[in-house]
Amino acid sequence: MTSYVVRRLLDLVFVLFGVSVLIFLMLRMIPGDAVLIMLGANTDITPDRVEALRRSLGLHLPLHEQYWQWLTGVFRGDLGRSIWTGRPVLDEILARLPVTLQLTGLALATAIVVSFPIGILSASLRGGTADTVVRILAILGLTLPSFWVGVLMLYFASVYLPLWPTIGYVPFADDPGGNLARMVLPVIAVSLPMIAGLSRILRSSLLDVLSLDYIRTGRAKGLGRRTLLYKHALRNAMIPVVTVIGVQVGYLLSGVVVIEQVFAIPGIGRLVIGAINERNYPLVQGVILIVTAVFVFVNLLVDLAYAWIDPRVEYA
Amino acid sequence: MRQRVLTIALAALVGFGLAQSGTLELAVDQSPAGLDPHIVTAFSSFQIIGQVYDGLLEINADLQLEPALATGYSVSPDGLTYTFELRDGVTFHNGRPFTAADVVYTYERVVDVDTGSPQASRFAQVASVEAIDDLTVVFELAEPFAPFLANLPNLPIVAEEVVEEHGDLQQVMVGTGPFMLSEIVPDTYTLLVANPDYYRAGEPGVAALRYNVVPEASTRAAGLRTGAYHLIPDVDPATAQTLGGVPGISMLSVQELSYSLIGMNASRPPFDDARVRRALNLAIDRDELVEAVYFGQAVPGGPLSPGLTDWALPVDEYSCYTPDAAAARALLAEAGYPDGIDFEIVTLGTLRVVVDAAQVVQAQLADAGFRATVSVEELGAFVQRWRNSDFDAFASLNGGNIDPDGYLDRTFRTGGSTNVFLYSNPAVDTLLTAGQRAVDFSTRQGIYADLQRALACDGPVAHLAYATLFTAYRDEVSGFVQTPTRSLRYLRNVTLN
Repeated sequence: MTSYVVRRLLDLVFVLFGVSVLIFLMLRMIPGDAVLIMLGANTDITPDRVEALRRSLGLHLPLHEQYWQWLTGVFRGDLGRSIWTGRPVLDEILARLPVTLQLTGLALATAIVVSFPIGILSASLRGGTADTVVRILAILGLTLPSFWVGVLMLYFASVYLPLWPTIGYVPFADDPGGNLARMVLPVIAVSLPMIAGLSRILRSSLLDVLSLDYIRTGRAKGLGRRTLLYKHALRNAMIPVVTVIGVQVGYLLSGVVVIEQVFAIPGIGRLVIGAINERNYPLVQGVILIVTAVFVFVNLLVDLAYAWIDPRVEYA
Repeated sequence: MRQRVLTIALAALVGFGLAQSGTLELAVDQSPAGLDPHIVTAFSSFQIIGQVYDGLLEINADLQLEPALATGYSVSPDGLTYTFELRDGVTFHNGRPFTAADVVYTYERVVDVDTGSPQASRFAQVASVEAIDDLTVVFELAEPFAPFLANLPNLPIVAEEVVEEHGDLQQVMVGTGPFMLSEIVPDTYTLLVANPDYYRAGEPGVAALRYNVVPEASTRAAGLRTGAYHLIPDVDPATAQTLGGVPGISMLSVQELSYSLIGMNASRPPFDDARVRRALNLAIDRDELVEAVYFGQAVPGGPLSPGLTDWALPVDEYSCYTPDAAAARALLAEAGYPDGIDFEIVTLGTLRVVVDAAQVVQAQLADAGFRATVSVEELGAFVQRWRNSDFDAFASLNGGNIDPDGYLDRTFRTGGSTNVFLYSNPAVDTLLTAGQRAVDFSTRQGIYADLQRALACDGPVAHLAYATLFTAYRDEVSGFVQTPTRSLRYLRNVTLN
């Protein structure tokens, strides 16, 4: 087990290394001169300014030297400086990361707490009216884009609940109530498609398990329905669900980009959209690196969770 | 007894505070991208810079120049020497008195190559700036330059010691304006507080301004409804319609200086031929475009905004503005294209109005034998092609200036800094120079009328429409004045009830 974790952590280092090369090359292979693109349509800029900016970004160096500079910087915890504000990229990211983690964490928790009863209910009432209703709702939840749901909720809240604080963000430490009140709508909007997806997966996975021989044996020796479902079936049905949750974290991280935009929440998504719009390359590089690291790490946790759920899973 | 004195003192303080009370909550779409008034180019930055810094002069809502840090000026008869009397008793936000030396320093900083200021080229005609005494400063020009005064609002006066201390002004603001920078929370808000020593008595009318950063237009509108925000400075026409009838919310509108356009490459076929450019103008129905793209909230215009009432010619002076597909076809045939023309219109995907305009124009041109394909480009690629003149035609949006020279010279002069059309017309160049040298107003009016006639139909830009700018605010807000330049200077007059 320990050697497995160590090996996976080593894998993580290689993945991040590959990602860093990719990010680095991609930004430099964009057709056209990055410096000119960054300066935009402002033609009053002198050639001296262009050259100065090129030097300050280190873009006058050969490619491998540029990469080496950046990489050694990363190991020193220096991701460079934001071009427009001059603030360290790491500070910019660390200021936003807790906000996005809170939003994704709450959305993930909500999705799990809500989808489990729904999935179990529709599996045990398979084919009934409740199952059909749940299926229709699930399809709706999966197909409605979360930004659209977000905009609609925002509109109705502003008309019918004008006193409910819906927009923006206040730190939890400053105002816990205000923080959570503002999280309600975005969390619902982000978690809806996930609730729909997870409950469908759990339902079909449970149904698969319930048709297996050992369940029939259990029923034959007189185990109650509840004991069978919760004690024997559910745990085995969890493996695909956990896999999906791991993948969904990636979806969540991208889903919140749009939702942060709609609800004016100052998270990573807003940061990266702003950075791309402003051609702020050091910032884009830094954000992608950190987000990739989070995603890879979550998937490691998911793999480890298999062992906890199913002791038969061996890590050799 | 002591208690009573304290109470009276407190009452006096509170009473004084009443003059400036409340925080005006604004909703804007972006955080400022840097704060240095001589370096930044982003509109989101200028919205804040305008509250903190002053120029010698400022532009009022009627697009006229008004005194700001200068109380008055005189011009020598040869138009070469401008003498400014400066306002007495003005202090920077750090408490130091403002003097003529600050004007000299600011000018030197802007034209210094190391600063890299985009404003530098506006002061290329200035030979020297000298402080005669603490409250008198003299600008000597190398040659007469009529737009000189109109450029002064773009010279925010800064304090040398602040630049020395911080290297640049990207993260610190010390000006003389009505508000002072208090706090920036990136992607959340920028908070400005009232300057208690502001030189206009009784202003500003609120204790603080908070620019809340809200990227989505529909979210800004929802926040205005609930009262989370008091004022949205820039409302798009579609949102303006939904907010129009809401009780408790009022709307202001004004003719903008910025406009949509089709730019043509005058250095290669087919648009190197003035007849083809005229034919394209003839094929466009601008009234229809205003309805289709702007929901009627815009007006057709020529090279200068109809908002520049001192300068702009009425569009009925331009013969090519009456749509006539048959005449356009005839001109194309005459220019050697009897079978019509295939060409590409490049547009910018991030600007909805521009993409819509390109598609409407594409459909209208088809009747006259222009077969256009519309290529929607991402910002980087668009700027690259624009800068390198790598296009047949493009659709875009452009800002405006209060002096006609500001836009016309850089855009249409041979080798001008935004003449990406590679247009070259000696007659136009001569007129542009004459417009800069003539100091007499009516002489200049005549010159710019000639220029507009020369450029409207045969120039490399087909000017399409000038949009209406909307500002929405709640009933608690009074005293706001909207300007065609999108400047928010008059937030200093706003009071909250």
